[in-house]
Amino acid sequence: MFSQSSLEFKFDKEFVSVPNNFEAFDTIKIYRGRLNEEEINNTSTVLGKTIRNTSDLQFVPIVPFTINQEYTLVYADFIEYFSLSIPDSYSYTTVTSVYPSAKELPENLLKWYIKFSNPISETLIYDHIKFINEQGDTLPRAALALKTPLVSDDGTLLTVWVEPGRQKRDLIPNQQLGAVFQKGKSYTLLIQKKLKDKTGVTMRSDFRHQFHIISADRKQPEINMWTIDPPTANSTYDLVIHCNESLDYGSALHSLMVLDKNDNEIDGRWQLKNHETILSFTPLTSWSSGTYKILCNPSLEDLAGNNLERLFDREVKNLPSNSIPKKYALDFIIK
Amino acid sequence: MKTLITFVVLLILSLTKSIANDVSNLKENFKNGDPGITAINAMTFGPENILFIGDSKSAQIIAIDVSDHPVADNSKVKINQLDKLIADKLGTAIDQVQITDMVVNPKNKNIYISVSHSSGTPVLFRVENNTLNSVDLGNASYSKIILVDAVAKEAKDKRGRELRKWAVADIKYDSGKLFLSGLSNKEFASTFRSIDFPFTEKQDYGSLEIYHAAHGKYETHAPIKTFIPTTIKGKSHIIAAYTCTPLVVFPMDDIKSGEHNKGRTVAELGSGNSPLDIVEVKSDATRYLLIANNNRPLMRMDFSDLEAFDKTLTTPVTIKGAAEGVAYVNMPYVQVQQLDAYGDNGFVIIQREATGNLALKQGSSWWIQK
Repeated sequence: MFSQSSLEFKFDKEFVSVPNNFEAFDTIKIYRGRLNEEEINNTSTVLGKTIRNTSDLQFVPIVPFTINQEYTLVYADFIEYFSLSIPDSYSYTTVTSVYPSAKELPENLLKWYIKFSNPISETLIYDHIKFINEQGDTLPRAALALKTPLVSDDGTLLTVWVEPGRQKRDLIPNQQLGAVFQKGKSYTLLIQKKLKDKTGVTMRSDFRHQFHIISADRKQPEINMWTIDPPTANSTYDLVIHCNESLDYGSALHSLMVLDKNDNEIDGRWQLKNHETILSFTPLTSWSSGTYKILCNPSLEDLAGNNLERLFDREVKNLPSNSIPKKYALDFIIK
Repeated sequence: MKTLITFVVLLILSLTKSIANDVSNLKENFKNGDPGITAINAMTFGPENILFIGDSKSAQIIAIDVSDHPVADNSKVKINQLDKLIADKLGTAIDQVQITDMVVNPKNKNIYISVSHSSGTPVLFRVENNTLNSVDLGNASYSKIILVDAVAKEAKDKRGRELRKWAVADIKYDSGKLFLSGLSNKEFASTFRSIDFPFTEKQDYGSLEIYHAAHGKYETHAPIKTFIPTTIKGKSHIIAAYTCTPLVVFPMDDIKSGEHNKGRTVAELGSGNSPLDIVEVKSDATRYLLIANNNRPLMRMDFSDLEAFDKTLTTPVTIKGAAEGVAYVNMPYVQVQQLDAYGDNGFVIIQREATGNLALKQGSSWWIQK
């Protein structure tokens, strides 16, 4: 039988504490949910450790308490309830950008990148990402539901693979189900508001991004067709490269480097602009006049997974006879 | 009599010595403390109670000695509402926890379940008395290795790592080597790694690709979803299941660092499905493969059928959803999310039952008896 009087206690995301008044009781028990005495007997306690300080007794859970979750606290003969509410000043998670950002995309599009304003909860994250057709139906088997999600170290960039078995010609899923997206049709990328951030708070609204499907891209990116706008000497103006097609956000941004005539790398920052068709490089220090080289990683991809070395799904009869790695570089001169 | 006693004592001493030597060989680099585990994406057991953990977040593999864990009798294990129990234990909503793997220690049949919580905290549970005990990951006897990013290293692009993620899909141990498969967020290809254990500086990279020429005119690179090192006709092989393609075998001898390998496709398991786990079980002398799937029942394949199939599949499957190649039996277990062998001739599963109940339980060994 629990006491009717109340216990003074404090709580936060990381702990619950009670006054250090009861020497005989050294355990605080926490349960998930608002439980009565009978339910308590049939429920496991929340895992954590109790620490005795001079002024209080603290319970620290092994994972932080969840916002909007009710808890039952049992200590000595007291039973109390608490929950953490969302602070008024809470900055709710939003989608800040999606890549590719162009509205017209090739039928054999391979990847999406979704950038969020807060680190997201990775738990079953792909369940919240849907592709909807013009009739409002969700496309089945559209994205790869990876068990280990591809989320950047800072927790804000999610990579979504469009089901590759359907995007690659001649694989069984492709033969039987066809490509995920059909040429001439429009679709919506839907990120459901039930997607939670790392603290367990959902977004405030669904995010929708419409796009239209055009012909498949079955050409490799051709760097010799790129045009370069060289900056002027003694400036920190951007080096601008026009790529003639949208590049894959994940592979393009970190696949290039600028070298001076002595092959020293120039420090600076790469950005993708104009629906990822323009690569721009801002140097940290002023350009000097002379000859420079842009070195490209062969794995740089377009939106369909075609890279500098090979098509995503190339015909077997066209396979090159040797696989000696080529160097992919472009020269430019600063005057 | 005296001679016999002396002999027995000497025998015991020599056995003890050899066991002690074995322990020191594999665990001599182990140290005590916090291994710094930031995620548990895949697990597997090696010999001598060594648990290997694949941690994608820190791109590392950690070997933990779990010899000091009490041995539980799990022969009749049945935990109902496993997801609710985990949520209760972590004090969080059910949709904020994800079971990332389940493994059985072959040495003592202890069952381990790894869970990730929305906060990013990994939790490891050991099953005992039909409930879950958390394993203290902050204090262990361990050894670890950081995975080198092969592609970035080759490209000498130091900034390339910022965006590169490599997700461990599966991890297995065999004869002093640890094998890993995974997928990166950049190239759609399967990186297959082999790492010596005890860990040294050496890390090998290969890619096990299916050149799917037999199925049509387009070549296929694809990531391995799950795999198992095993023996086929007495020789070491990897049997791999691909995310969007079939069951493929690779002779271990052919897998060389930095080279693409052409696998032999031995079975199509029906489209619209991804395999989740492959394990090997035995009944007397008969060996079976058990394959858990996300959209097909648990499958049983007899090794003798696999060994008798020395072809590679050459014709495309024309009947929608049909299977080809080595025959298999669909077992009466659907929605099996996790699978591992339990001893030599049993198996343990985590299954979403038709009622919605998520259960950890023994599979009936009746299904794998001749």
